[in-house]
Amino acid sequence: MKFAVEAAGLGKQYGRRWALRDCTLAIPPGKVVGLVGPNGAGKTTLLHLAVGLLEPTSGSIRVLGASPADGPAQLARVGFVAQDTPVYARLSVAQHLQMGAWLNPGWDAGVAESRIKQLDLDPRQRAGTLSGGQRAQLALTLAIAKRPECLILDEPVASLDPLARREFLRSLMEIVAAQGISVVLSSHLIADLERVCDYLVVLVASRVQVAGEVSDLLASHHRLSGARRDASSLPASQEVIEESHTDKQSTFLVRTSDHVHDPAWTARPVTLDDLVIAYMSRTAASERAYRPQLKVMS
Amino acid sequence: MIRFTWLQFRPQARVALAALVAFAVLLVVTGPHLAGLYASSGIIACHAGACATAASRFLSLLAITSPYPIVYELGIGLILAAPAISGVFWGAPLISRELENRTFDLVWTQSITRTRWLLAKLALIGLAAMAVTEALSLSYAWWADPISKAIGLQGPYPVVSEFGGVRLSLVIFASHGITPLGYAAFGFTLGTATGAYIRRAVPAMAVTLAIFAAVQVGMPLWVRPHLIPPDRTVVSGPSFVASAGVNLGNLTASIVPGRPGAWITSSGAINAAGQPVSTVPGACVPPPPAKPPDPGRCLGSRGIREAITYQPASRYWPLQWIETGIFLALALALAGVCFWRLGRSRT
Repeated sequence: MKFAVEAAGLGKQYGRRWALRDCTLAIPPGKVVGLVGPNGAGKTTLLHLAVGLLEPTSGSIRVLGASPADGPAQLARVGFVAQDTPVYARLSVAQHLQMGAWLNPGWDAGVAESRIKQLDLDPRQRAGTLSGGQRAQLALTLAIAKRPECLILDEPVASLDPLARREFLRSLMEIVAAQGISVVLSSHLIADLERVCDYLVVLVASRVQVAGEVSDLLASHHRLSGARRDASSLPASQEVIEESHTDKQSTFLVRTSDHVHDPAWTARPVTLDDLVIAYMSRTAASERAYRPQLKVMS
Repeated sequence: MIRFTWLQFRPQARVALAALVAFAVLLVVTGPHLAGLYASSGIIACHAGACATAASRFLSLLAITSPYPIVYELGIGLILAAPAISGVFWGAPLISRELENRTFDLVWTQSITRTRWLLAKLALIGLAAMAVTEALSLSYAWWADPISKAIGLQGPYPVVSEFGGVRLSLVIFASHGITPLGYAAFGFTLGTATGAYIRRAVPAMAVTLAIFAAVQVGMPLWVRPHLIPPDRTVVSGPSFVASAGVNLGNLTASIVPGRPGAWITSSGAINAAGQPVSTVPGACVPPPPAKPPDPGRCLGSRGIREAITYQPASRYWPLQWIETGIFLALALALAGVCFWRLGRSRT
């Protein structure tokens, strides 16, 4: 199968600091992938590697089966909306579309113009005077009118107000529905993504913590609560992601492919939010070398 | 990519074109009157010895006639400054501003490799910088033609110093012929490469200006005299006095006897043993009211001669080609540095 994004042992080092390390992923095509992690986790590095703005220090990454930015043909297959959606401040909206038409052989002028009209943007307006939401929409328009097979967006909604955020994501979903392309979008807030993505990658402290289909992740994670007991007493098939204890009660968030049958437990499903928070706090805890008995299994 | 480069470059091109047009208007307005003064100066119909007198008279008149001295200096200043301006305002921000504003995230993810992007930028804007500089130089050479001719006819001892010297003299050489092309290509690519390394536009602009100014000063002082091994000659007796002319007091040569238009790169008096002499013996130039002896014979009898190192006028074009070639080669090397710097593993 040709994966949308496939990484093996991927790493990027800046000086002595690893921005991303040991990243191994295989994201099937046609998904809307949410890349979640706190600020500074390496999300931008991973996405820049995927579009070829950076080259890996170690390992390899392939997008749609080919090496990123490997010639104009590969560049044409991947659309990119960068963080804070940079545009040329002195060029007008229409000139940005002109740029897209000149620099992309597969440019779809109809899509671009109808979107600009639908968004009610003035083509003569200079891009530097657009609001953050309008600029993001312009950047998205440029990225989709080149008719990519894979669209990559880096924190596209981070700087938008809630209304613009909803508008932007709605536009994105319309495009995905209409064109059936693969999408990867990152955010430091799962709330931005949970309504749109069907595949999730959690990236914390420059490492991938968990990756998979949202439905699989929700089915394989459970919140167990019951009388107080130690994590080591849980079956080996249940990986503890998060635990909390009161005097009498213990609560665990576990990952297991089996059903939970133990009648001593009350098992409840988890939300995507719970799941992401659990992985993030586990990493934070292990970084502080707290609870060393919990080894990270991957 | 050429069309997009032009779209982005258009505002700057307009400024350059406006400056070029303004300069051309100034030349066209003042040029015919200058040519008229030349025609009525008697230089055209002059014979032998009368030419120097007519030329000096013409230049003396020009020197006190507004606006000719100002336009003359302004023109040379503009031609010398144009490559620096293109380096600072076109070259230095070319890559650094894309990095600063992060617009490279946008443009390098279009369906175009960054090599193509840079190639279009360097070619189009680099050629524009060369064209503007050379256009300034050629239009100025047309305007200043009567002055250049008069300087050539003025004879060995220029009476009028408001206007530059022979074709090989420092600023005249760098602002005429084909050297402006080389300086423009070098200035622009120097700015681009500096921006690619410093990655911030304003510091890159300052560094570009500093480096370019250093090269522009260093070239005629330390490099150009040696581009072709210079000729040497030793003159004595009356020729010495002829050579030193008005400079007899400090014993440096102002002309090379029998070599009109030569560019003297160094000169100085030497004694019979070949050692440098720094002052004129007092007996040869006694203070008034004593009657001075014939200085040529006086110095000659003491074995004092003048050693001159110079480039003859016939080397004007060979030196032009070599200097232009050097700057074009430097420009290519700097362009190579930009391509290397933009390689994916280094951004």
